[in-house]
Amino acid sequence: MEGRDLSFTHPRADAAAVRRVSLSVSPGKLLAVVGPNGAGKTTLLKLLSGSLTPQEGGVTLDDRALSDLGDRDRALAIAVVPQSESSPFPVTVREMVGMGRYAHLGPWERSGDGDRAVVEDAMARCAVAEFADRHLGELSGGERQRARIARALAQEAPVLLLDEPTAGLDLRYRMELFHLLRELRGAGLGVLVITHDLNLAARFADRLLLLDRGRARARGAPDETLSRESLEAVYDWPLRVVPHPGPGSDTGAPQTVPLRKEDP
Amino acid sequence: MTHTPRRLALLALVVVAAIALSVSFGASGLGPADLWRFLAGEADPTTRSILLQLRLPRAVLAALVGGALGLCGCTFQALLRNPLAEPYVLGVSGGAAVGAVAVVVTGIGLRFPWMLPLGAFAGALAAMALVLAVARRASPGRMDTRVLILSGVIIGAFFNAVILLLLSLADVESFRSAIFWMMGNLSGADWASTGLLALLLVPGALAVLSLARAFNLLSRGEEVAFYLGASVQRVKLTAYLAASLMVAAAVAAGGVIGFVGLIVPHAVRLAWGNDHRLLLPASFLAGTAFLLLADTVARLVVAPAELPTGVVTAVAGVPFFVALLLRGGRR
Repeated sequence: MEGRDLSFTHPRADAAAVRRVSLSVSPGKLLAVVGPNGAGKTTLLKLLSGSLTPQEGGVTLDDRALSDLGDRDRALAIAVVPQSESSPFPVTVREMVGMGRYAHLGPWERSGDGDRAVVEDAMARCAVAEFADRHLGELSGGERQRARIARALAQEAPVLLLDEPTAGLDLRYRMELFHLLRELRGAGLGVLVITHDLNLAARFADRLLLLDRGRARARGAPDETLSRESLEAVYDWPLRVVPHPGPGSDTGAPQTVPLRKEDP
Repeated sequence: MTHTPRRLALLALVVVAAIALSVSFGASGLGPADLWRFLAGEADPTTRSILLQLRLPRAVLAALVGGALGLCGCTFQALLRNPLAEPYVLGVSGGAAVGAVAVVVTGIGLRFPWMLPLGAFAGALAAMALVLAVARRASPGRMDTRVLILSGVIIGAFFNAVILLLLSLADVESFRSAIFWMMGNLSGADWASTGLLALLLVPGALAVLSLARAFNLLSRGEEVAFYLGASVQRVKLTAYLAASLMVAAAVAAGGVIGFVGLIVPHAVRLAWGNDHRLLLPASFLAGTAFLLLADTVARLVVAPAELPTGVVTAVAGVPFFVALLLRGGRR
């Protein structure tokens, strides 16, 4: 999946939310998009997923334009886990994950053994199989988030986009979630994750894209992207970047430490 | 999902029993034994004519109206993502009532009784078109369901004011028959109106049922539904048009029968969950059975006079629903 020179200005907004940003989501790679609030991360995800149409530039999937795809074909190519969702009508985890099969079935077609196998497999990969018959509202935030990712996996799309999947989760759930993304990437998916967690992004992602007021400020491997200069400029806060002390294979990954202001 | 066929078969049995019950009892004093003789082909002509020309069309009409209201209530709840939605929430009943009351008050209904359902249907269509036009104008390019519900409620309120205006100008006799119509009653049933209603219900119900899985997606929010592959705008427009048409037809045939469309889908939800593949057909069948029973009660309690069916659905439906709610809350 390739996004080229994407630009988008929201109606009635003065400045563009996304300005000439290009990126690619490749199979077997995990790309993390980071940047401050309002930098255009979610808008970028909406452009890449077809939810918004870019005013300039375009998105292609294997050389097919995203805008040429119908709704079903698009869902077969790109799975998205948006920031949050709610429903007035409670459903079980299995029902929720089963919704991922929508694009695979015609309106009168009943889900078959193949569909059910995909759903069970997606729940197993996201470690929510044991909650399959529980209602979503009975799960913890981290379990719920994994159920939403399982639904996206049930789409069997080669590209997975996630918008702040770790927001509001505790340390263990955040670690588990990034490990899950890393596994999915290992299984050949192209994964893009929007996150505010610079330190986990630096340790888990193959590449980073640092957005600042709609523009790509820095990109590349974590240690090329997360420099003190660019981060201080983007976040407008004094900070230091130190290597991850280890142990582990991610020893040395750049970890951002924002500095405290001294008491007067 | 694996329970779906069994549960629907169970409801279908309940519907058959409700039809038998409804046909077995009435003001004329014919009872279950007569129905049995009729089914065996041994009934006399009077019995045959009462069953075939009076009770059966009425039972079928009650079944169709109840089913339509159950199905449409469920559809509007899914479309508007609002558990309080019911078939009349978007002003269709208000439009129908204006049409019907106009026919009654102008005296046309006295000379041409068949004009009453036509007037109601025309009014319902007018309301439906008006609500849609306002909603689309206010949210160009896409149908915002929050705008749709506002526009429906406001236009419904306007129609209610028009009804009061018409009634305040009416004589006592028209006033009475207009009010009686608005409370909902199925006493005008004949094969012609029943057949017309069925003709509209079949395509409408099929259209809505084909959207069952899309409704499941929509209940998670429009953005999620879009990402999962639903054609959100098309689904919403189809649901609105199909359900409004069915409500228009049901109201034209049976007046404004309340509570069925609100209570029935929730009863099914509480019992069997929120998967629309089961919920939609089950709401249709449960609505059918519920209105058949309510109408039977309406015909019997003050026989040979009748209660308006809408009064029975409210009086019987609300305690039933409260009981369900309390049971669900304890679980």
